[in-house]
Amino acid sequence: MHPFNKSLLPKKVILSGADCFHLVLDKHAQKHGAGGNVMRKIFHFNKPLSAGTIEAILKRSPVIYWLCNIRLREGLLFQKPCWEFIDKGSEIIVRQHQCAAENEVPREILGRDISIRSDRFIEADLVHYPSGACAFIVSWNHILLDAKGTTLLFEHLNAISENKEQDHALFFPGPEKKTNIITYIRNMYKVKHFVQQSAKPPVYSVGEKKKKSEEGLTAEKIIAFSSEETKIIIANARKAGSRFGPTLYLIACCSQIIDRLRRLKKRSGDLWIPVPYDGRLKGANGPLISNTVSFLFYRIPEQELTSVPATVKYLGAQMMEQIKLGIPQRYTLFLNMMRHVPLWLYYFLVSKTGKGVFASYLYTSTGDNFNNLRSLFGEPIRDISMIPALTFPPGLTFVFLKHDDQLSVNIAYSPDSVNPDELDFIEAQIKQLLITEH
Amino acid sequence: MDEQRIINEIKQYVEKNILAPSVTIDADTDLKSAGIDSFSTVEILLFIERKYGTAIPDDKLIPENFRTLRTLASTVHGLMA
Repeated sequence: MHPFNKSLLPKKVILSGADCFHLVLDKHAQKHGAGGNVMRKIFHFNKPLSAGTIEAILKRSPVIYWLCNIRLREGLLFQKPCWEFIDKGSEIIVRQHQCAAENEVPREILGRDISIRSDRFIEADLVHYPSGACAFIVSWNHILLDAKGTTLLFEHLNAISENKEQDHALFFPGPEKKTNIITYIRNMYKVKHFVQQSAKPPVYSVGEKKKKSEEGLTAEKIIAFSSEETKIIIANARKAGSRFGPTLYLIACCSQIIDRLRRLKKRSGDLWIPVPYDGRLKGANGPLISNTVSFLFYRIPEQELTSVPATVKYLGAQMMEQIKLGIPQRYTLFLNMMRHVPLWLYYFLVSKTGKGVFASYLYTSTGDNFNNLRSLFGEPIRDISMIPALTFPPGLTFVFLKHDDQLSVNIAYSPDSVNPDELDFIEAQIKQLLITEH
Repeated sequence: MDEQRIINEIKQYVEKNILAPSVTIDADTDLKSAGIDSFSTVEILLFIERKYGTAIPDDKLIPENFRTLRTLASTVHGLMA
C-alpha cells in the first residue's frame, strides 16, 4: 500500500527541449565512452544514518516512485519523445557501502551508469566511513532533473520526513504553450546564426575532439573555501566588476586558468563556454521533473583574457547583449522545436556546429540553491558536493556550490582530458585567482 | 514622474515577466529573497532603459540600489531629475 495516490501520477510526460538536448548528450557520452549522463549529489553527515529510515522516506515519495517506474518512448519522425509511467512496482533501494577512505565516493558508485534504458532513473547509496561519519548519495540521469529540480527534490524529501502537505501539481511540468510553425522557423534561423557565429572555429577545448575516453570515469578534486574566504571571493567579484553576484567573476577566473593551460600547451583558439541558466519563473516551486534550463553562450578571444576584470567586463557585455536579444528564450524555443527532429539527425547537427568541440570547458553553479539546506531527513548536513554528468570532450567541468555560506568548487574531470600535473596546476591557480584582489 | 509611479511600473513588469504567479512583492520586499538573480536584474535594467530612456551608469550599478523596488525607483528617479 503506497502512502500516495498513484492515480495522480502522470501517465505521460513529454520531454522538454532541454531534456531532448540531454538525449543528445547521452548519445555523446555513449559514443565517447565517458561514463554516462549521470549527476550525483553527495550529502555528508557527521554521524551514521539508518538506511532503513532513509529508504522508508524515499518510498513515501511519489516523485521517486515515478522515477523508478517510467520508460522512454522515443519520438518517431515529427513526434515528441515522452516518458511513460508503466507502474511496474519498482521501488528505490538504498545500497550500503563501507569505504576505508574518509569522504571518498566508492568507485562502484562512480562507475555505475544510469542510462535511458535503465530500470530506474534514480539510485540511492549510503556510504559508511571508519570515523562513523556517512555520506548519502543520490544519482540520477540528467535527462530527468536539472539543478533547480534537484533542490526541489530535497525540499520535497524534507517535507515528507516532516509530514508536511505538498502540492503534487508542482512536481511535473504543466501543459505547454503552443507555438506555430512559422514562429519556430523564424526563430530557428536567428538561433542557428547566433550559435554558429558564437561557436565557430577555432575554439580551444581542454579535451581533444573525436578522442574516445579510455578511463570512462569522472574524477574529481574538491576545493573548499571557509566562510571568511567566501566573503573575500564575493568582495573580489564585486571589485572586479561582477556587480550582481559572483557568476561572471567565477567564469572569468576559470577562463583565465584554461587560457594559461592553453598557452602552456602552445595551442590556439578562442574560449567558448555555454553556461546553463534556470528558465523557471523566479520563486517558482516547480516543476521538479524535467530540465527547464536555457543557455548563455560566452566566447572569449585571447585579447580579452589579459586580466580578470577585463574578462568580467567582456563577459558582462555579452550577457547584456544576449539578454537584450532574448537569446535564452529563443534558444529554449529552438530546443523545443528540435524535439521533432530524429535523434541521429539532431546529434549530427549539434556535432557539426562545433566540429566535435562541445565547449572549451564547462561551468555550472548551484548559486544559492543549497546555501540554506542545513538538514536532510532531520539530520544536520556537514557539507554537500555535486559530481556533474561530465560531457566528454571537453571532459572538464567546474562545479561551484555554496552551502552554509561556504563556497566550494569541484573540478570534475576525465583523466583523458586532464593529467595529474594539469590538475595540480588548475587547483593551485583556482585557489590563488579567486582569493586575490584584482 | 513620481517615485511611486516608477515603483508600480517596475513592479508590474517584474510580476508579469520574471516572478512566478505565487510570488508577491511590494515596494520594500528584498528582491534577492523573492528570487531575483543577476540575470533577472539585467532584464530589469533593460526594461528601465526602454521605459524611461535612462541607462543606469556604472557607478550606480551597485547591489544597494537594487535591493528593493523603492531603492531602484529612487535611483531611476534621481537620474531622471
